[in-house]
Amino acid sequence: MREILRAFGGPLSLVIGTLVGFWLLILVAVPQVAMLDYSLWSQAANADLSAAIDRAYAEATMAEFDRRAEANPAKATELDEKLTALKRTIAELEAAQTSPPKTYGLQNYTRMSPLHAYIFVRTILSALAVAAVALVVCYPIAYAAAFAPTPRRAAILLTALLVPYAMNELLRVYAWLMIFDYRGVLNSLFAAVGLADLEARRWVPFLETQGALFTVMVSVYALFMVFPIMNTLQTLDPHQIEAARDLGASAWRIHARVVIPHAKPGIAVGVITVFMLAAGSFAVPQILSRGTGGDWFSQLVYRQFFEANNWNLGSAYAFSLLVVSLAIVFAMMRAFGVSLREITK
Amino acid sequence: MTRRREAGEAVLDAYVALFLLYMFLPLGVMVIAAFNAYPDPSVTQWHGFTLHWFEALARDGRMLAGLRNSIFAALAVVALSLPIGLAAALLLTRLQSRARGFLYALMVSPILTPGIILGISTLVFWRNFGMAGGLLLAVLAQTSFIAAYCMLIFLARLQRFDATQVEAALDLGASQGLVFRRILVPFLAPSMATAAVVAFLQSFENYNTTVFSIGGDWTLVTEIGSRFRFGLTPAVNAIGVVFVVLTVAMAILHVHLGRRRRAHG
Repeated sequence: MREILRAFGGPLSLVIGTLVGFWLLILVAVPQVAMLDYSLWSQAANADLSAAIDRAYAEATMAEFDRRAEANPAKATELDEKLTALKRTIAELEAAQTSPPKTYGLQNYTRMSPLHAYIFVRTILSALAVAAVALVVCYPIAYAAAFAPTPRRAAILLTALLVPYAMNELLRVYAWLMIFDYRGVLNSLFAAVGLADLEARRWVPFLETQGALFTVMVSVYALFMVFPIMNTLQTLDPHQIEAARDLGASAWRIHARVVIPHAKPGIAVGVITVFMLAAGSFAVPQILSRGTGGDWFSQLVYRQFFEANNWNLGSAYAFSLLVVSLAIVFAMMRAFGVSLREITK
Repeated sequence: MTRRREAGEAVLDAYVALFLLYMFLPLGVMVIAAFNAYPDPSVTQWHGFTLHWFEALARDGRMLAGLRNSIFAALAVVALSLPIGLAAALLLTRLQSRARGFLYALMVSPILTPGIILGISTLVFWRNFGMAGGLLLAVLAQTSFIAAYCMLIFLARLQRFDATQVEAALDLGASQGLVFRRILVPFLAPSMATAAVVAFLQSFENYNTTVFSIGGDWTLVTEIGSRFRFGLTPAVNAIGVVFVVLTVAMAILHVHLGRRRRAHG
């Protein structure tokens, strides 16, 4: 604390502290706590309550009607009392409806249906698989980009890789939709050679396959694997590869013993990033299924919030996703032997 | 030996070409369909060249409003993330204690959090204060992680900072405010430009965090996202063409500037 004051002085330290405090507390930490809190309680269903309110209102209207027609003063007072009592009941019921008692517990976590639990597990495993496939696909690309034979080639390749990297994710997914769609490019090609008939709706439902989802995810997230590996490989002295080759090492051995060990931090960053993007992916499954599918966990979370309107259950789903993906990220950091600082460089 | 190496290089070249095809073929299809005079986005049903879909896009009120919202949100995110990121980086470089590691982990945690979670937690938190989803919440949710990127950019630059400059200035009687304005800010100026561009683009392109916190408002990207639910028209392809052109221009500019900077040392 004292070193901050010494370096920046009182007023500036106050500004720095306020900005960092606002960020870490109001924007980062407390919202996560609020989400956790939401996930830990539920409220009684309101259906019975609103039926009771409707009944009370109907009764009150009838009593008012009777009261207006009543000539006998004794009966009129009786009806007045009944009306006051009914009004009090209505007020109480309505208060209960706007804020029904909260029940704290783990019910939102234990309530996940077997189907949703299956989709959760499948999403996490698929995201791991996407990261693994992306690594295999992208490693040679990163190598080629880092050791391009001429600066001109390197610049052209870098530009070509930057375009899909910076291109809007939704539009990249949409471009794939045009290829895999029922009346898309692939099915039209199939139709041209007689393998499909678009008029008779006899086509290959690529969109409903896991293969299409996989192809698109790897394509959309591949560059997040290429660039970190490329960046670490650019710090590898090409003479080391030359030396290994001159000493008679095979290409396989050079990669296993020289290139890959050097690229390890980059590989770790790539694998972790692609896993996180895939596990939390919303645009890819959403667009490929035209907003109707529900086979990626993020879509189930979205539905709890905006279709079922159950924020408590939605928060529990979101928190489960957060905890499991963070646990996997930390396990990967352990496995790769990299620190948080290395992966956020 | 050299012949085997040449063969290996040829295989690698072919593989790179295949990979680029994998990246660019869908984009090519999307671009071509934008110029097709056919009411459904298609390249196989070719009904002649047209610019009609670009005109339709220029008249699309929701898209234009979305563009305005996106630019407004991105500017707001830059205005918030830059000072926050700078303050956080300054704090980290000066802090020696063990709190530093914890603070650093907390600061980069939004980068490691799935985007949808950031949107959800912001939405849930502000509901307690009666604030529903909207453009403002989207700005706050985006700032939570974009400020971390800005912090990392400033931190990288500050690591090359010669702290003795500050010590000398302080010893010569300069106030801390003067040191900040005359030494730190000029030193950090290039990083500020980088951080501003990164923050703007991250905000403009964001979907996952925004779609959960935007409520009834919309940005250009969430509007594109909502179009997939209803009938698609090639106007979406026309937007794709605009994005492709802008992205290619940015990539060329970036590589060109990078090479020039390296050439000048």
